[in-house]
Amino acid sequence: MRLGSILMVTVPSDPDDDTISDLQVRILSSMEGSTALGLILDISTVQTVDSFFARTITETVQMVSLMGGITVLSGMQAAVAVTTTQLGLTLGSIPTALNVDRAMITLQHLLEERRLS
Amino acid sequence: MTILDVAEIAIVNEQDIVVARKGIREAAVGVGFGLTDVTRIVTAASELSRNVYIYGGGGLVTWRVLLGDRRGLEIAFSDDGPGIEDLDKAMQPGYTSGRGMGMGMPGAKRLMDEMVVESAVGVGTTVTVRKWLLHRYE
Ligand SMILES: Nc1ncnc2c1ncn2[C@@H]1O[C@H](COP(=O)(O)OP(=O)(O)OP(=O)(O)O)[C@@H](O)[C@H]1O
Ligand SMILES: [Mg+2]
Repeated sequence: MRLGSILMVTVPSDPDDDTISDLQVRILSSMEGSTALGLILDISTVQTVDSFFARTITETVQMVSLMGGITVLSGMQAAVAVTTTQLGLTLGSIPTALNVDRAMITLQHLLEERRLS
Repeated sequence: MTILDVAEIAIVNEQDIVVARKGIREAAVGVGFGLTDVTRIVTAASELSRNVYIYGGGGLVTWRVLLGDRRGLEIAFSDDGPGIEDLDKAMQPGYTSGRGMGMGMPGAKRLMDEMVVESAVGVGTTVTVRKWLLHRYE
């Protein structure tokens, strides 16, 4: 779904590795084929963040960034946040938000900040 | 009423990791674990199933509900792949012989209460993990 210059992607709740990799490819080609400057990755239904998932998401955010886009990760469940941290994974320094509404605000701030700098 | 407390899933292709995650989630909920522990258990299972698939060339995930003084869940991940040459190294955060982050083994150990790795080069690997109910705070 495209919201003005923001691309919003909902990650499925229990994706297999291929699905996550496909999602990465689809996100990158959508960013390329649009004027979107921002990406919201909605992971609110995702129940399991393991090392493969974290690595692919981190990689995707880096690639989007190389293409000039900014990503906000939205809606990580509390149990998932606890587990991910205990597992030793860091999702780098990806900006996060509690829900999609807040992610929109965060993203607009970040885009505005960048426009001014 | 029959309680199915032993189950196994063959890890042949990549989607079987998802099947194992689903089955183990149901089992963990059935044992009575809270959401955070369920998430810990399923995440550890995801890491170890993927190791079976990637390094072991496929194998078997087996779990059983532990009944007795305390309830728990035991899950075994076994394969007859190449085995692990240096176990200490494999347990080190950051060590990978593949393209991973080297977080799966040490991470699974932290997420579970017990983890035992048995491995013989050329024979295979079995990783057994346990989580006990009411053993820890949520
Ligand atoms: N079932 C197995 N059979 C053979 N070798 C294994 C097995 N499981 C793990 N290993 C070895 O142990 C290493 C560490 O495993 P670990 O899961 O910690 O990291 P990884 O799989 O390399 O990366 P990540 O899990 O972060 O994606 C692996 O790179 C591999 O060499
Ligand atoms: Mg691994």
